[in-house]
Formats: sequence, C-alpha cells, structure tokens
Amino acid sequence: MVQYLLMKIFRALVTVTLIVSAAFVVLRLSGDPAIIILGPEAPPEAFEAFRRNWGLDQPIWVQYFKYFAAVFQGDLGNSMRDGRSALVVVGERIPLTLAITLPALFIKLAIGLPAGVMAALYRNTWVDRLIMMLSVAGFTVPSFVLGLVLAMIFAVWLGWLPSGGSDTWAHAVLPTVTMGLVGAAVIARFTRSAMLEVLGQPYIRTASAKGLLWRDVVRNHALPNAAIPTLTIIGFLVGSLVAGAVVVESVFSWPGVGRLLVNAVANRDLAVVQVILLLVGLTMVGANLAVDILYGIVDPRLRIKRLQAGS
Amino acid sequence: MTHSRTLKGAMMIGAYLLATTMLTMPGQALAEDRPEITVAVQQIVNAGALDVLREQSNVGARVFYSIFETLIDYDRQNADLPQKPGLATEWKRIDDKTVELKLRPGVKFHNGDVMTADDVVFTFSKERFGLLDEQDSARKDGKTLFTASASAAVGGKVPPAEVAAVAKRAWPNLDRVEKVDDMTVRFVSTVADPTLEGRISRYGAEILSKRAYEEAESWLAFAQKPVGTGPYKVVEFKPDNILVLEAHDDYWGGTPPVKTLRFAVVPEVASRVNGLLSGEYDFITDLPPDQINTVESNAAFEVVGGPITNHRLMVFDKNNGPMQNAKIRQAMTHAIDRETIVETLWDGRTSVPAGLQWSYYGDMFLSDWTVPEYNVELAKKLVQESGYNGEEITFRVLNNYYTNQVSTAQINAESFRQIGLNVKIEMKENWQQIFDKESGPRMVRDWSNSAPFPDPVSSIVNQHCQNGQQQQVGEWTNEEFNALCIKLETSTDLEERRASFRRMLEIAEREDPAYTVLHQSAIFFGKRKDIEWNWSGLQSMDFRAANFQVVAPGN
Repeated sequence: MVQYLLMKIFRALVTVTLIVSAAFVVLRLSGDPAIIILGPEAPPEAFEAFRRNWGLDQPIWVQYFKYFAAVFQGDLGNSMRDGRSALVVVGERIPLTLAITLPALFIKLAIGLPAGVMAALYRNTWVDRLIMMLSVAGFTVPSFVLGLVLAMIFAVWLGWLPSGGSDTWAHAVLPTVTMGLVGAAVIARFTRSAMLEVLGQPYIRTASAKGLLWRDVVRNHALPNAAIPTLTIIGFLVGSLVAGAVVVESVFSWPGVGRLLVNAVANRDLAVVQVILLLVGLTMVGANLAVDILYGIVDPRLRIKRLQAGS
Repeated sequence: MTHSRTLKGAMMIGAYLLATTMLTMPGQALAEDRPEITVAVQQIVNAGALDVLREQSNVGARVFYSIFETLIDYDRQNADLPQKPGLATEWKRIDDKTVELKLRPGVKFHNGDVMTADDVVFTFSKERFGLLDEQDSARKDGKTLFTASASAAVGGKVPPAEVAAVAKRAWPNLDRVEKVDDMTVRFVSTVADPTLEGRISRYGAEILSKRAYEEAESWLAFAQKPVGTGPYKVVEFKPDNILVLEAHDDYWGGTPPVKTLRFAVVPEVASRVNGLLSGEYDFITDLPPDQINTVESNAAFEVVGGPITNHRLMVFDKNNGPMQNAKIRQAMTHAIDRETIVETLWDGRTSVPAGLQWSYYGDMFLSDWTVPEYNVELAKKLVQESGYNGEEITFRVLNNYYTNQVSTAQINAESFRQIGLNVKIEMKENWQQIFDKESGPRMVRDWSNSAPFPDPVSSIVNQHCQNGQQQQVGEWTNEEFNALCIKLETSTDLEERRASFRRMLEIAEREDPAYTVLHQSAIFFGKRKDIEWNWSGLQSMDFRAANFQVVAPGN
C-alpha cells in the first residue's frame, strides 16, 4: 500500500512539474508582463527597467532554471504587480473561494445524487425525463449565463440578494447556487448512468429473485456498486474546489482564487499563476489519492487486489 | 464605593457634554448623515499599487483624484479644462527656466501634517523618484525590490525601477525644486521649458507627505496606503478587489460629502449593470455605448460621460511591405469613414477631433487643422499611384482592449478593401504580440494617445518623437519631424512653437503618415439619477462637495 501511494505521489509530482514547466514556457513566450502591467502608454525606459528588475531580459532557459532553483529553496516568487509574496497573494484568496465552493459541493451532492438515483429507478418515466431534461439544461447552459440570469431575477427584479461582491453571507448565495446547480446536473447524469449499469447486472436480478424487497436490493446491492464511478466524478469536483470557480467568481465579482488566476494569466504574473497551478495540482492529487483509498473501502475486491499486488 | 460613584457621575456628565456638543456641531451632524457610495469599476489600478508614477494606465486616474492633488489643478468638469489653483494659490514665471508657486496655507495631509514646501521639494526629489545612486545600486543587487533598503541614506525606500523611469520621462529637464520659504517653492529646469506649468499640473505630479513616506516600512507599504491631501484617505486597498476611502474631514476644500467611498472591482459589464440596477452600486464605470439604453431604460438611473483627453489612433509601421510607400498610408487615412464610426458605434456621443490635439491646448491649439478628409476616390487614386500589387497588409488588433476596438477595425478593414488594399486582421492577445517582429512583418496596429497636460509636447512629442514609443519600437521615424520635436519642446516663442507643431502634424498625419486619428475616446458612467455629479474629460472622478450632491426626492 505504501509503495502504491509513493508511486502515486511520484507520478503526481511529475505531472505538477510538467504543468508548471508548460505554463512557464507558454506564459513567457506569449506575453510581456512589462507592457501588460505598466500599460502601452508607459515610456519605453519603464518597460526596460521593469524587465531588468524581474529578470525578464535574460534568456528563457536562464529564467526557467532560476525559477526552479528558487522553488526548491522554498521561494515561490513575488507578484510582479504588487511585489508581495505570490504565496501570500494566493493564500488570502483561498478562504474566499472555499466559502463558495464547499457549500456548492454540498448542493451538488445533495441534489445530484438523489436526482440521479431517482432517474435511474424510474427509468423512462416522466420522473426520469423531467430530471434528465433539467440535468441537460443544467450542464449545457454556461455557468456565466445561468449566473447572470439568477442575478437578473433575484437581484435586479426581486431585490432579494446582492448581485455581486463579497461583503456578507448573502453575497455568497448566488455564486454558490449557480455552481451548485450546474454541478448537480453533472452528478445526476453520472449517477443515473452508474445506477442503470448496476441495475442491469445479474446479481441485481438474483437479489430480486431470492425475494429481497426492492428497497433492500437498491440499498444493499445497487447503491454500493454504483458508488465507484460516482466517486470518480466527486473526486474530480473536490479536486477543483480551489480553482474551479473561475467563471462564477468573475460574474459575481467574488475575489477568490479563480478571479486571481484570470488576472494573473492576463497580466502574465507568472509567480502567482505558478502558485495557483501548484495548488490545483496538489489538490487534484490529494483528491485522487483520497478517491483511490475510498475505492478500497467501498469495494473490497480492489482492496484485496492491491494488497496482493503489494505482497 | 464613593470613588466608584464619583467616576460614574463624571462619566455621565462627560457623555452628556459629548452628546450636546455633537448635536450643536453642524459639521459632525453632517458627517453622520453622509452617504456611503460604491463605484463598480472594471479595475482599480493595473499596476497593483497606488503610486501615480507606477500606474500609467488611465484607469488609475479615476481614483487618484480623491486621494492626491497637484499644485496646479484643472476645472475638471469644464469641457475646456482651464487650469486653476490647486495646492498652490498662485504661480508666476521668474524666467524661461523657473516657475515660482505660493502654497495654499492650511492644507492638511491625511496624517494630520500641514503641507509645507518641504513636502513639495520631497515629492520631486531624487529619493522619491528612486533616482539616488544608492537606490539604483540596491535595485541592481536585486535584493530590495519593493522592500526596505538596508541603506539608511535612502530612508529605506527603493521604488521599483519603472518608477524611476517614469519620473525621468515626466520630468526630463527638471533640475531641482527649491524651497524659497515654508510656503513658496521654485521649479527650475535645466533648459528653457515652456511646458513647466503644464507638467506641474499633470497626472504624476501629485504632492505626497514627506513624513508619511519616510515612516512607511517600504515603498510598497506607502503605495498600498499612501498619504496625500485629497478629500478621501485610504482605509483599505486590495488590488483586483476593493479600495475603501474614508472622508478626510480636515480637507482644505470643505467637508467631503461622502462618508465612505468604495471602488469595487467588477470585471464583467453585465454584472456592473445588474449591480447598478439592483442598487448594489451607486456608480458604474467603463460602460460601453451599447449598454447605455439598458441603464437609461430604468427611470432611476442615467448615463453621463463623453469625450476625454485621449484619442484613438491607427498606427503605421513604415518599414515593412506596402507600408514603406507613403501613398499607401495616405490612402488609408483617406479611406476611413470616421463620422460613420462615431455615429454607429458611439451613437454620436464622441467626435472626430482636429488631429492629435485637444482644444485645452489653448494658444497651441490649431483650430484650422483637420484629420484627412474621407475621400474614397482620392484614396483609390493614391493606391493606384503607389504601384501597389496586392500584397497582404496585416492589421494587428486586440480583443476590445479599447471600447469598440474590434468593430472599428472591421469597419476600417472593409474600407481599405474597398480602395483595393488586401488587408488581413490578425487578432492578438496582448501588447507584446502587437509589437512582436518575429511573428511576421508589422504593418498596422491600434493605439491611443493621451494628453496629460495642455501642450502638444504631452502627446505628439511624448509618443511620436525620438523618445516616444513609436520611434523606440522602430515603427517610424522622420528626420525633419525629429528636428521639430526639439524646437517644440524648448522654444519659448509661441509663434515658432505653433509653426513647428503645425509642420509636425503635416508630416505625421499627411505627408509621411506615422498614425491617423480615428476619433476622440469617450467614457461613460451609469449612476443613480438622484445624485448630481459630473464627469471629467481628464477621466478623474470628483467626489468633492462642489461636484456631488444627493438630491432629495421631489426636488
């Protein structure tokens, strides 16, 4: 098991290094932070001074090795915009993002899982069609459109909720609901598919044939088996908690990591982008590991297989 | 026990006295009544710091006027933008190189200090500009970026190098600012400088508190919470998120009418509009013309705004392909239907200016000058005379960096095709890609030019002469034009300066086009109708008592 985990962590580190390297090269080659941050009307001397200060006048491979040398010494760099540590800049946004992504995850699960199960159990009935219609609508309507529509209804017309900002808990409602509804639609579809696949298995027929109540068949045989593919998608959603609200944060002016990422990429504020990518990579890796471990708990066959492979 | 009773009694008497005092002080009572105002902006500042020498974009101008002030100001709501006393009450020319200013008495900084000549001298000092040798060495060491310097000699402050570069550009000939007495200063140039008063009034010449700067932990600490003399002081600044200002009740120009002024970053236009209509925001900025009707369809709101001291240009690189031929560039200047662009894309809310100049240039404004006339036949004739053989002309465009940029580019590209030019629009993501020489020949691009003070030196010299961006990036140069640049900058003879400027416009806009002016830029604000407030052509937002009043219903 330890060997298995070590292998997973090693792979994750390689993945994160590749992501960070690719981002470094692409961001460096596709835009000059000096002109972007100082503005096109700044004098040419200012651009040169800015580039000199941040080492942007050096060859890209020199910049690359300097960056990684600093990272290995624990220095993730400073934001070129305000000079503060990139870690601090990103760190102060994380609680704000989690304040909407965690409740949104709860909504996704609370609505998506039961809706998916219901749709599968009532396959080809009006219940299934209604749930799937809403589900398709949920994940085909872009979240920025849904966000703007909700803001129009609840902020502009009804005046019940604020349309943007982050001052009070009420400001979190619309972004949370927007993300929650879109995510619930995705989970509902995945859960339905997983349930339908399980319900068609011979062991479900066997369980029914031996006289178990349908309720018990679903609870004891269908749901645990359908949980594995559903766990995968939930793991992905957990992994995107940190930077998965890019669009919604922009629409609702929510000053979280997602909006910071958009600004940092636009400004080619490399250190900030890299810290966010590292964070996203590590969250994804953590979530995947957690899902792997959960697989073993949910499905004893996987646990035994891994133990056998490890011995 | 007796002691406790006495204390209680004293406290009650104190509370009573405090309450009665507050009730009888109109200023204080007013302070309690003042509204909190929220302005939704696309961005507070681009450069992440509240330093006028680092923030070179026009978005910063919106917030800085509430925090800082210059010695010479403008009547900002007057379309002609006449100069008026600011932190100086009067000024006079001593000679070609020297201007003397009398400081306004009783001006208090946000930290309570009274402004004196020492603050003014400091604001224009090498230390503040980051031009001391120690600061330069510290920057070269690479250890002191944005942080306190180990060198006590520089007061521990090392501004980033671009601050020094911008300061040098803003004050190319400034020798020194000297203190005559506590309330009098002199600006002295190294050469005759007819633009000195203009430069003293420009964005970037705002007066800072010397003590506050020296006491700040670092340049960055000061730039996050600067201390100026404006009507509002900085309480909280989170780049990309919010700037909270609070009324500076000791403001020399009268009690500020707003208690708390918040600039909130709302990047999406639709979100800003929704926020205004739902009452979340009192003002929204950067409203594109196509959203004006949406705001004005609600009776409680209105849109104000119009042309500003910035013109949209199309810029030519005369080194590549067909653009080497002046006749092609001339043809393009005649093919652009500027009036149609203004009418269709701007709903007629801006105008086609008289070339790269503004009426607030005063004596230096050439009122008889115009942009090249829209004349398709003439343009076709010029293309024919040029011997053009259908080579591709690339036109690099950013995705609406400027309002209506893509639509304008599409209209113009179509106009160029109409006169027989093979124009291809290339969409670019950022300015580096616009200037890039490696990805193909540069030919045509978009730009805008501002005039930070009322003289052609502020625009045509700053942007198109030897040290201006266009020549620095190698797009264009002209020997005669360059000689005139020096004359315009240093001559003190008005007629000679006017003649030089005219000839420069003839060269850069007609004979050997470096650029062509498309239209005057315009900005629009959505706001509550019950607030009386006027916009400024200088792009600043003025929340002083003379320009802000909440009108009671029924008035």
